[in-house]
Amino acid sequence: MAMKNLTDAEIIESVKKGNQADYSILVDRYKNKAFTMLKRMLKNDFDAEEVLMDCFLKAYNNLSSFKFESKFSTWFYRIVYNSALTRLSSAKRKIENEMSSVDDLHYLESKFSADEYLNEEKSELIKKMINELPPKNAAVITMFYLEEMSSEEISEILQISVANVKVILHRSRNLLREIIEKRNLVQEIL
Amino acid sequence: MKYLNDELLNKYIDNELNLEEKELVKTSIERSLEVRKRYETLLKAHSLFKSLGEESPSIDFTKLVMNKLNKKSVLAQQQKYFLLSILSILGVAIAGITGYALYQVISSIQPSQSSEFVTTYSKDIGDYVSNLFGQKNLTILGSVLSFIMLISGYFLYDYQKHSKKDFSH
Repeated sequence: MAMKNLTDAEIIESVKKGNQADYSILVDRYKNKAFTMLKRMLKNDFDAEEVLMDCFLKAYNNLSSFKFESKFSTWFYRIVYNSALTRLSSAKRKIENEMSSVDDLHYLESKFSADEYLNEEKSELIKKMINELPPKNAAVITMFYLEEMSSEEISEILQISVANVKVILHRSRNLLREIIEKRNLVQEIL
Repeated sequence: MKYLNDELLNKYIDNELNLEEKELVKTSIERSLEVRKRYETLLKAHSLFKSLGEESPSIDFTKLVMNKLNKKSVLAQQQKYFLLSILSILGVAIAGITGYALYQVISSIQPSQSSEFVTTYSKDIGDYVSNLFGQKNLTILGSVLSFIMLISGYFLYDYQKHSKKDFSH
């Protein structure tokens, strides 16, 4: 029980000293949030779990090079984000990603305003919309809302400027607002 | 009233405005129905994103990760021992060659000054090494050494490749 209250740095020190089993605390601590981010980026459970497994193995193998210059979470999410991008670089997905750039979210706005989604449950609609977001937007949304990371931390992980992180965040939020307005969900939600 | 763009509303929600800007947005929300509606819908979008829960991988995920790590460390240890044994064999071979070379130097330069004890043992070692590196065994020994060096070279290259790959992430 006491082990679960240890900080990331303490656990890493313990693992570095040879207590390999302590690494399971870190796995338990980060697996759900990292899985959610990967699922939203990769759009399927199987790939998300496979990449996540790979990320934990990579992090373990490189733990000796982790010098506590940043938080473990920042370092680990950078591995997660880069691994997701590597997986996404397969030809078909690459084309899809290029088509749905950060600047172009209008296709989603019209898609989810269509009659096809008229009878969809609100929460399901939101999940589907997030699933359709470009990987970078999905990653930013997950880190900001689920991990409650600051824009600065996200910018460090994604290796983009803080201003760019904010642009992505605001555009994603504006997109959801547009959908709520167009679907006349305002009264239902408010 | 000055038009209030979405950027300001977003920054207001994220608490990123200075006092003056905050006051401006607050007043606009209170006075304009259109701005209030936009702000409330945006705030709702913000809450909806916040309310989305996390998802989890398979139940035994942690166990799977730890099993893989255990297997990997056993393999790494085996590889380490293999490399060590190859290096030991190479070390013994190099020591033998050096010994033989030293014996040749000692016996050719100062044969009269060497004590009988040293001469006898040196001669024995020399004979043994000469026999080992004799024409008959030299080809076999050379082939074995080359094979060992090739194998160890491959494993060293493989090890380096994996280390490089790990560090690149």
